Amino acid sequence: MKKIALIGNPNCGKSTLFNRLTGLSQKTSNLPGTTVETTSGIVKLKTSDLELIDLPGIYSLFAQAEDERLVVSTLIGIDSEKPDAIVYILDGSNLRRNLLLVSQVAELGIPASCILTMADTAKRRHIEINVDALQTELGIPVTVVNPRSDTNIQNAFESLQNHKVGNTISLNDQFETRLKRFYLGNKERGLSEETLKRYRDIEQVVKKVIVNSDGKKRNNTINIDKYVTHPILGILIFFFVMMALFQGVFYLADAPMGWIENGFAWFKTMLDETLPSGMWSDFVKDGIFSGIEGVIVFVPQIFILFFLIGLLEDSGYMVRASFITDRIMRKIGLNGRSIIPLVGGFACAIPSIMATRSIKNKRERLITMLVVPLMSCSARLPVYVLLISLAVPVSRFWGPFHAQSFVMTSAYFAGIVVALIFAVLFNFFNKTKEKSEFVLELPTYQSPRIQTVISQAWIKCRSFLTEAGKVIIIISMVLWGLSNFGPKTAMDKARSEAKIVAALGSPDSSQIEQSLKLEASYAGHIGKFIEPAITPLGYDWKTGIALITSFVAREVFVGTMSTLFQTPDNDKNVIGIRKKMQAEINPTNGKPLYGIPYAISLIFFYAFALQCVSTMAVMKKETGSWYWPVMLFFIYGGIAYLSAFAAYNIFNLYF
Amino acid sequence: MNITADHLEFNKSYEISALKENDLTQKLAEMGCVPGTEIMKLYTAPGGDPIAFRIDSYILGLRKSEAENIFVIPTVVEN
Repeated sequence: MKKIALIGNPNCGKSTLFNRLTGLSQKTSNLPGTTVETTSGIVKLKTSDLELIDLPGIYSLFAQAEDERLVVSTLIGIDSEKPDAIVYILDGSNLRRNLLLVSQVAELGIPASCILTMADTAKRRHIEINVDALQTELGIPVTVVNPRSDTNIQNAFESLQNHKVGNTISLNDQFETRLKRFYLGNKERGLSEETLKRYRDIEQVVKKVIVNSDGKKRNNTINIDKYVTHPILGILIFFFVMMALFQGVFYLADAPMGWIENGFAWFKTMLDETLPSGMWSDFVKDGIFSGIEGVIVFVPQIFILFFLIGLLEDSGYMVRASFITDRIMRKIGLNGRSIIPLVGGFACAIPSIMATRSIKNKRERLITMLVVPLMSCSARLPVYVLLISLAVPVSRFWGPFHAQSFVMTSAYFAGIVVALIFAVLFNFFNKTKEKSEFVLELPTYQSPRIQTVISQAWIKCRSFLTEAGKVIIIISMVLWGLSNFGPKTAMDKARSEAKIVAALGSPDSSQIEQSLKLEASYAGHIGKFIEPAITPLGYDWKTGIALITSFVAREVFVGTMSTLFQTPDNDKNVIGIRKKMQAEINPTNGKPLYGIPYAISLIFFYAFALQCVSTMAVMKKETGSWYWPVMLFFIYGGIAYLSAFAAYNIFNLYF
Repeated sequence: MNITADHLEFNKSYEISALKENDLTQKLAEMGCVPGTEIMKLYTAPGGDPIAFRIDSYILGLRKSEAENIFVIPTVVEN
């Protein structure tokens, strides 16, 4: 199958076009030996099929960010074969800068064709392009396509089949050799002179191609930006947008999450009825399907948050968010560009850590990656919800604040504040000298393209499903084993005790049996073993088990607690567990065992601790070693422990 | 006259005359900040930094320290 690569500047309409051309056949794949993903898809044509590769948008082949380097490695065939042909996507309203990339790529001698987009935007700005002249100058077929309308998408299909080795706009000495050397990390001299020469040659082309280019250059974008970047209004808009983002997620994800939970509950009842009762059926039901449910139930939240962030990105707002936050981010060793992975961290750290690839400065990229796990991801939310509803009555107000929302908001803020503090610390201890750079294009605002945004959000969800999914399901099975088997003597004892209870005719004897067995199991032993370490934080051995199982993924806490408190399956939700937990009394002080101090302490623990094996695995991939994941495990674990300890003891004085 | 791009008046048209030679030159040139190009300061982020410029026909955000590398001359107004 022929391999064709799409190349163009960022914001030139490339991804939209890619989506239109490949439809649902998209897949992402890792380049051999790297962590960088490419998206490719199959285009079905009358005569044959083509493989179309969507490469990240770049301005120049002399690029340094991880995602930009991918384009170079594809074009010069470093990890894979060179593409058979290239399709340039040129933004007609921005021809000079777009032609720089063409002039570089043309020297590689790969057959190419060109799709001119935004010709309508150009026209609105009174820039008229002579397509025939452009075709002659470049020596390749040029077609005009508006990726956002249907009328001439057919032209794009033709453009995929019809390519030629084009003219070189500006010839430079040993270009390909030098590009390879640069890619391998050598400093190349004279690059800026070369670029200036290219622009001089491009100017000659532009003179023949652009027919008419005066007229008003003011447009709506600048008017909108007056508000969006305003010293007061701009910041208000920023906070408003972020608030709307999170409210939107909670509001929109609620229903689909309920469907998934009900679906699984129905499925499990069905399994109960059809499978013979016994150990293996339990394993399938509680070991495997609970694990799968634990993964799937987060998909709506993660998808919706990335979908909404995608809308903001595609409309052009996220770049403005980078623009207005850069000054603060710079002070703490980050970059305005860090804002996108940080906001994404509220959904899931895994795709967000991958999103740091667009940050060129290695130190800024590393620090962004290191603090992303402190953003309260969607897996912490069910833990927060359970703990808050457990300890804080709905009707309670602290001063003017609704107590429950206050605790929830504080949990999120605690994560943000600690992330900022750690960014400063990491920055202080990292002595790498590399100049920080902003230089960011602020694209024209446009209405977001839903189809593109959906497919991007889905790709992010998929990375959560594949990276976190396997880990969660495997560990869920291991945990099932740990909580169903135990040392023989202890298990026998539990069984005989259970028999006595049953003989006494207690109504919930089967639940008591389960509870006794769990206590006697390996999981129970582990919980008891760590109990001395967590007693200062206000936790008992049951919480200990839940803490350990949470290392799979934080939300497992809720499931473990529900198992530990034997909530009947039909009542296996927050309310059911809560009722049981509230009844427990701390034998040492006679207060409720799972009261406010317990809940707050545990919320702090969950907000800070790096309890996600999948995040650690992705971080290892992106940094190339286990050093940082292991360091963070201990650093954030320590902070989690200390702050939980402090919270428990302080709140214990008052509640 | 040596005006650098961080010192421009808002919404007034200038022309890039030269770039300071350093690590950033290549990047600025790639982004179209080359001698002869029209440049206009449009607005800034809260706190005055970074600054948004119109370069040729698009908007580019640059930190003050980055804009210092661009030398400009006022555009001659033809009547």
